[in-house]
Amino acid sequence: MIEACSLSFSYNHHSISNNEDFTGRALKDVSFFVNEGERIAILGHNGSGKSTLVKILGGLQEASEGKCLINGIDINEMDFRELRTTIGMVFQDPENQIVAAMVEDDAAFAPENQGLPSDEIQARVDEALKQVNLLHKQGASVSALSGGEKQRLALAGALTARVKCLILDEATAMLDPVGRVHVENVMKELHKSGMTIIQVTHQIEAENFDDIQRVIVLSHGEIIWQGVTRDFWEKSEALGFDLPDEFKIKQLFAARDINFPESFRDCRINFREESDTYDPAKSAKFAIQDLSFKYEDSTTQTLDKVNANIPAGRWLSIIGRTGSGKSTLVQHLNALYKIQDGRILFDDKALPQKGEEVHELRRKVGLVFQHPEDQLFSFTVRDELAFAPKNAGFTKHELDEAVLYGLECVSLDESFLDRNPIALSGGERRLIAIASVLAAKPECIVLDEPLAGLDAHYQHQILNMLKKLRDNGRTVITITHDLSMALNYSDRILIMGDGKAIQEGSPHEVIASIMHNLEPGAWPDVLRFSAKIHEINKDFPLLYNYEDFISCISQI
Amino acid sequence: MYFTNISLGQYVPTGSFIHRLDPRAKLFSLLFIISAVFPAENFIKLSFWTALLFLLVWVSKISWRIILMTARPIFFLIIFTFVFNLFADSLLRALLTSLRLLVLMLFAVILPLTTAPLELADGLDSLLRPLGKIGFPAHESAMMIGMALRFIPLLMQETDKIIRAQLSRGARLDQGNIFKRVRAFFPVLIPLFIIIFRRADEIALAMEARGYEGGSGRTRRRPLIWKVKDTIVVTVCALVSILLILL
Repeated sequence: MIEACSLSFSYNHHSISNNEDFTGRALKDVSFFVNEGERIAILGHNGSGKSTLVKILGGLQEASEGKCLINGIDINEMDFRELRTTIGMVFQDPENQIVAAMVEDDAAFAPENQGLPSDEIQARVDEALKQVNLLHKQGASVSALSGGEKQRLALAGALTARVKCLILDEATAMLDPVGRVHVENVMKELHKSGMTIIQVTHQIEAENFDDIQRVIVLSHGEIIWQGVTRDFWEKSEALGFDLPDEFKIKQLFAARDINFPESFRDCRINFREESDTYDPAKSAKFAIQDLSFKYEDSTTQTLDKVNANIPAGRWLSIIGRTGSGKSTLVQHLNALYKIQDGRILFDDKALPQKGEEVHELRRKVGLVFQHPEDQLFSFTVRDELAFAPKNAGFTKHELDEAVLYGLECVSLDESFLDRNPIALSGGERRLIAIASVLAAKPECIVLDEPLAGLDAHYQHQILNMLKKLRDNGRTVITITHDLSMALNYSDRILIMGDGKAIQEGSPHEVIASIMHNLEPGAWPDVLRFSAKIHEINKDFPLLYNYEDFISCISQI
Repeated sequence: MYFTNISLGQYVPTGSFIHRLDPRAKLFSLLFIISAVFPAENFIKLSFWTALLFLLVWVSKISWRIILMTARPIFFLIIFTFVFNLFADSLLRALLTSLRLLVLMLFAVILPLTTAPLELADGLDSLLRPLGKIGFPAHESAMMIGMALRFIPLLMQETDKIIRAQLSRGARLDQGNIFKRVRAFFPVLIPLFIIIFRRADEIALAMEARGYEGGSGRTRRRPLIWKVKDTIVVTVCALVSILLILL
């Protein structure tokens, strides 16, 4: 159905060619084919050129060399309307694909562009909304949808054009685990009904890959491997992609002839959990007492009498569903939100709420928002890193030292200082944004989804950095949907739900509460397996760490 | 919110009689009402218009809370008008002028609250079409307004987030003289512009991917159909407005 013949693309004719982010978008001699009804994955790290490839396949960008054929016809010579009813696209950010404020109006956009009669448009809208399970939201306004629902609406927006092939560019990257599962279910149904699907992604997820028939791996603009999914698994680590735990475990079961979960029914496992005798109430950095907060335009309490202690010198992860109040809570910690009701003690003193003291507080408590790379504004990395310390009143000498300190925290060398942040890769920009907060030497650092959208290399780098900060006595707080990271890396976990603090404790202490409050789709793979075994054999521990799980398995 | 309310001007679907009117009928009626409220020179006429405003809000089923919150940015202007007139003229004059402005603005606010952005764009598109003959980009202008209405709330959220991030890094956005303050806003404005351009880029791609190639040949899921009730509403608004201007 689709055939890419030696596609190349370069930005050489642009003056920005020395810019890494742009050279990262080049393609070299890319050839492959996609059969009708097939579901394939194009896998590549950030900067591998996959976004450029997506645009060329979708006819949104012309290749410098080579051809892209759709059913044998050159994509650039194809009739516009025919092309747009053959290939549909879904991009990463749902907001940027939705043109109307109402669900039905948006779904209707494509058939309206085709000039179809009104009743045909309505019929297609109803059908597409049904396919993506959004029919119950047909009269709703887009702003009332969750991230996952918006992305399903974007899918519907392509389906109403009756396309034969869908190209998805990191379509689930910005969604929470629940939203991801819903989108994935829709994709499976579509594939079953004969849709050709090309999924472009930087991360392998077990639930996605069940259904995928072939994999193409892209690196630095070139295809370094392609083949059927079964063969891909053996190669994946060599190709630079971590295997999902679920897959590794299933393989292990198969290799050792284990019948899951039956084989575990009567086994006895020796596993000693390390007990955390730590008492957060004795050494709290923040003591939050009956904190309540309500947005002006909201009718419900966003925070409803939150009580929690945030331990000093530890790494705390705050977890909970979207809308449970996590972001609002942490924005109280540096007085971005003023306390409406209740109180917060910071180092046993009331948290300042106004005046110069708030500035002092913001130096001590650094806050890194989601996608902080979007907030960079300076022309050089040096200026960017100097911004926070300068605001905090550092002297000239202290300033230079602070800039170097920030850079050192994120393990980047001094050659970065004179570069323009805009010209750096996405991962590097994230590091610079984090460094720009660390440069002011905060005692406590709060990060909202620090790993979102990064590939494994940068994820590991940030996790190591946070570990080091914690070991140096800083208080680290992360907000995350990634439970595997929360359980395996942080010392303590705070579970939020419906504006309340449900429980604070060590990973081991909160595991039961996590299973009770969050859906299995969000659990780490290891926990899903051990919970199944635990159901039939209460002696089997509830585990979240892959190595622990393997050591338990090897005992039978 | 540091910046302003995100629900500003956002469509509130209640499915009321007003919502179901043709957007062109609403635009025409608003035009008539505004041209009549402007010259209202006494409290009797203004109280009539105020009564009509209350009726309109009641029929539209939109809560006063939302209307007042949407109109909040203009309260400053109204207070300014009041104080200015108080010193330049009399208390009576000040009350009259500011009340008139308030009523006017509140009428105007009801339009985007009861009309979905794309519908409003469709209405403008069809009204501006005659101008297309003399080379005015009618469809493009209407589409632009529709898209702006859709994305303004999003950009406000974005601005709010950037402000919070820079405040967290110790930015002093509200201190010093006017030059200092403008300079202090660079860390907010630069990222905002980058985000706007990137979004615009991505939106353009997504629209092209869904087969958008301008206004020609486009049809509508719900084509604008001028009904009898639209004629009645516009006629009533026109008659009442003319009557009150002449009285």
